[in-house]
Parts: sequence; C-alpha cells; structure tokens
Amino acid sequence: MKYRKILLFLLLAAGSMIFGATVSLAGDIKMIANSGVNVGIISLVELKAVFLEEKSSINGTHVEPVLEKDGPVHEAFLQEYLGRSEDDLQAYYRTLVFTGRGAMPKVLGSDAEVVAYVARTRGAIGYVSGAASAEGVKTLAIGDGNEGAERRLITRVEPEYPETLKRLNIGGTVRLRVAISAKGNVEQIELLGGNPILGESAAFAVKQWVYASAKSRTIVEVNLHFGGY
Amino acid sequence: MHRRVARLVFACFCVGQLLQAQDFKLFDREVQVHGFASQGFVYTDTNNWLTMNTSQGSAAFTDFGFNASTNITDKLRVGAQGYDRNLGHLGQYHPLLDWAVADYRFKSWLGFRGGKVKTTLGLYNEAQDLDFLYTFALLPQSVYPTDIRDATLAHSGGDIYGSVPLSPHFGDLSYTAFVGHRSDSIYDGYAYLASSYGVRFSSYGGLQYGADLRWHTPLKGLLVGLSRINQDITSKGTSPNPSPGGAPIPYSSVSKADWINQFYGEYIVGKLRIDSEYRRALHDESTEGGLLLSTSDTRGWYVSGTYRVTSRLAVGSYYSRYTITVVSGGPLAPRVPDQTDTSLPGNHVYDKVVTARVDLNRFWDVKVEGHFMNGYGFGPYPDGFYLQVNPQGFQPNTNALVVKTGFNF
Repeated sequence: MKYRKILLFLLLAAGSMIFGATVSLAGDIKMIANSGVNVGIISLVELKAVFLEEKSSINGTHVEPVLEKDGPVHEAFLQEYLGRSEDDLQAYYRTLVFTGRGAMPKVLGSDAEVVAYVARTRGAIGYVSGAASAEGVKTLAIGDGNEGAERRLITRVEPEYPETLKRLNIGGTVRLRVAISAKGNVEQIELLGGNPILGESAAFAVKQWVYASAKSRTIVEVNLHFGGY
Repeated sequence: MHRRVARLVFACFCVGQLLQAQDFKLFDREVQVHGFASQGFVYTDTNNWLTMNTSQGSAAFTDFGFNASTNITDKLRVGAQGYDRNLGHLGQYHPLLDWAVADYRFKSWLGFRGGKVKTTLGLYNEAQDLDFLYTFALLPQSVYPTDIRDATLAHSGGDIYGSVPLSPHFGDLSYTAFVGHRSDSIYDGYAYLASSYGVRFSSYGGLQYGADLRWHTPLKGLLVGLSRINQDITSKGTSPNPSPGGAPIPYSSVSKADWINQFYGEYIVGKLRIDSEYRRALHDESTEGGLLLSTSDTRGWYVSGTYRVTSRLAVGSYYSRYTITVVSGGPLAPRVPDQTDTSLPGNHVYDKVVTARVDLNRFWDVKVEGHFMNGYGFGPYPDGFYLQVNPQGFQPNTNALVVKTGFNF
C-alpha cells in the first residue's frame, strides 16, 4: 500500500514536471524581427505563412524566416506556432528546395546567434526563448489564430481630431491593427493605413479601450473615421 | 555491386565533408547548393521487376541530383536541378535537366513560375524522386510508377499558384494551374516497352494542362485535394518493316483523349501519418494513322500508414492496387486482344508492403522493404513488369526485397 502511494506520488510528480515544462516552454517564446520589418503585430496565419515560405512580405516589407537548431525553444515553437513535427518541417523544406519552390531557411545554434543574425539581416524574423535579450531587434506580438474574431467592446474612448487638421479639412479613415489580451486590454497597436498624425491620435484613444475577456489574445482590425468625407 | 556501394559510400563521405560549403556568395547573392543520391538493391523470387534482373538480385538502382538556386530579388527566385538515374534498362545514366525555374511570388495568393517546372499532381508527384523524404523505398507503384515517371513529372511551361486562408475556422486552400509541354526521355518505360515490339521512339510528348486544388482543413493535420491533367501526346519514331530485310518505316501515334484524375487525402497526428490516393488515367490513342485505335483505362489507389518510432527509426506499410483494361479498334485490332477482366493477373498488380527506415544521421538513411505482389499488370501502359526481362513469361505472384540507402544535403 505504502509503495503504491509512493509510486502514485512519483507518477504525479513526473507528470506535472513534464506538463509544467511544456507549458512553461510554450509560453516562453519571443518572436523577434529585424528593426526594418514594418510590423509590430503579426497574426498566427501570417507567421505560419512566413515560416512555410508562402509569404515573403508583410505590409510591403520583405520578410524571411530564421530557425533555431533543435532544442526546447525550437520544439516549443513548432508545437505552438506551426503545429508540425521537426520531421514534417524538414521534409516540407526539402520538398521546396528539391522541387525548385523555395530555399532552406537559415538555421542557427543559439538565442544569441538568432538575435545577432536577425539584428543585421533585412527582413529576418526569428524566435528565441523569453529570457533572451532582444537588443537590436523588435519583439513581435502574435495573435492566437482567432484573427478577425469578434471581441465585445466595453469601454470606448473617442479619438481627438487634431484642431489644425480639422481646420485644413484633412481627414479620412485610419486603419489600425490591435492586439487585445485575453483579459481585454489593448496590448499593442499598429498603423496599417491613413494619415500618420490622425493615426497617432487614433492609437492614443484605442489604447484606452477595454474589451470583454476571452480565452486568449486576439488581433482585430479597427477603422476610425475623421472628418466629414 | 560491392564496388558500386563502396563508391556511393565514398561519395557520401566526400559530400558530407562539403556540407559546410553548401551556401556561397555569387555577385553578393547567396547561392544554395543541395544534392541527393540513392542506391538500391532488389531481389525477387519469381518475375524480374522494374526492368532489372531482380530474380538474381540487382543493384542497378541508382539515382542522384544536384541543384543550385538563389534569390534575384525578394520575390524572384531562380534555380535548376540536374538528375540522373539508372534503373535496370531505364535512365542508363543519361543526365536530365530535372527542373529549371524562375519563380515570382507577388503575394501569398498569387505567384508565377516558368521554365521546366515539376508538375503538381496528387501528394507526391513533383517530389517522387526524393527518396529521402519518405519512409518507403518505393512509393505505391499503382499511383507513382517509377518506371514511367516521365509521364507526369514535369512540363516546360508555367504555373500560377497561391494559397488563400478561408477564415480561422475553415482552414486554407492552395491552388496550382499549369500548362506546358511534356517531353519524355527515350530511356523511360514507355519507350522501353515499345522497343519490345521493335518500335524506336525519337520523341514522345506533347501539350499538357491541368490544375490542383488542396484544402488544409480546420482539423489539424488533415489535408484533402484533387488534381486533373489533360494531355495531348504524340510519339514519333520507327517501326520494323513488314517486308523482310526492309529498312525501318516511320512510326507515329497521337492522343485522341488523354487525361488523369487524382484524389487524395493525408492525415498527420503526432508521429502517425496516413495517406490515401486514387488515380485514374485514360489514354485513347490512334497509332499509325488509325491502323490501331487503343483505349486503355488504368486505375490505381493505395492506403499507407507510417509511424516514427524513434528519431532514428520509422516503420510503415501500404496496400497498393492497380488495374488496367484495354480495348482496341481499327484494322490491326485483331492482333491485339482486349484486356477487360481485371481479376486476371495480367491486368492487375496488388501489392502489400512493409518497410522500416533507419536514419543513421540527418543526411543518411537506410530502408528495408518487403513487397508481396499478386499480378503483373502487363499492357500498353506498363507497371513494373516487362517481357524483355521476363522472356520465359510471367508468374502470377512476385515477392520482393528492397534495400535502399540514400543521402542528401
């Protein structure tokens, strides 16, 4: 009986360690990009398309994937973002390379190497562990795959129409991409289109918006109109 | 055979030493160089298979390829691959330009590629030579017959392709539409089969066009798709002169209708992969200006499963089924009996396969595979069995052992 209890305890401990490790790894990845990449928020669909070489530009900026060699960070990235095993991914890239449909992406050995390469390579997008330094690169916010899903807006703050632009009758629509946390706070905003001064005003207002909570982070597109046309 | 294996091992070693040098800069652009090679050995207990003398054990089963590619701009990529093989009497080490492509991708949903392009058809057509991608030493021959690989492999022309996300809940669609000229090597299976009737091809090919549509469903790991090709094939060459001692006379055949439909599905869950495909190919052709009209209908399907046991070991199995019917017309029809009963061994090949693959390292693998075949599917469109290497006639059953090693970088 005593041995059974010990065995059960050991099994539970081992299980929680494995489960805990997986969870901690999955939540501990940072997506990074070269500072010239013209996005701060990227949807899961876009991220997948970049790493599967189906997409070579985002918002008019060239992008290219950078992988980290086998290891916990790489495994967690495959599991959480690409949903493929290492074998599948390698077979996929080799099929591209040997049928003339793509190139083998850059593979580097450590977080530091990935950060250094991404920092100096135009368009590079990579991933590192959450604890890694991201000096010289920008960190990207990633959607959870529910891009476009409805999030109920609870608190809305209207943007200020800058007086000078209003007087000069300069208006139009501003398009923003907004990353909303699971709790409903606006985490990150990116200007997709429209007058940059109006965009700044719109972003300042939207940053204060509060949405209903959801299961995970969501990325939505917000259009705000300024002026009478 | 020992020398050949030793040469392959030596080549693998040398290439391995060059692995670090596979990328280099040319005019400030990174050029990637990749290659592969494989060597097989096949032993059969009865019929000789795939034009090799397999009943004695044959290692005449070698192929290799090299490619180089680079990005000219962010969206424009160019590259080319050379390929060479020897499979029994096929290939005979005559090198081919496997593909040579300029690929321009405007958006993820719209790209163009032109040149000599691998034809998208089903799950594996364009990558059927890439042995290192698969657990199996031989893909299911009912759908991917290696002896007549040229029939579907590539076209000189262009593709339009892209990928469209449907919505978060409906997965995404990928499409390819293509048009071009198919040109078979005269060292391929059709030409070899025709040579048994004294016909020597000087050219074999023609226009082909078609499309492929595949749906990555919202169920993670599930892909389904369909492909279609229409072809208009002309062959030219010479055939024996009916007058004894006379010079060979011109030979030609043209397609009246020539098409392939293929349906497929793939499901990957964890370390398990399950594939299934169905292909129907109809060839309706007129030979010698209508002296012989022949309609052949080949149907093939397979179900396969593979499982990666460890990072070094994968196992798999498939069941592959091929049938052929042939109906002839025209003045020469009485000389060519119709084949309509697919239960006869001459009109089908049913193949049960088990395999194990060991990855010695990331670049080098060894496979051991058993085939248990019933039938020899002998018709105007061959499926592995040829009279030239079976002059004593065919046995209904063939068991084969295939051992293959491959290398890629």
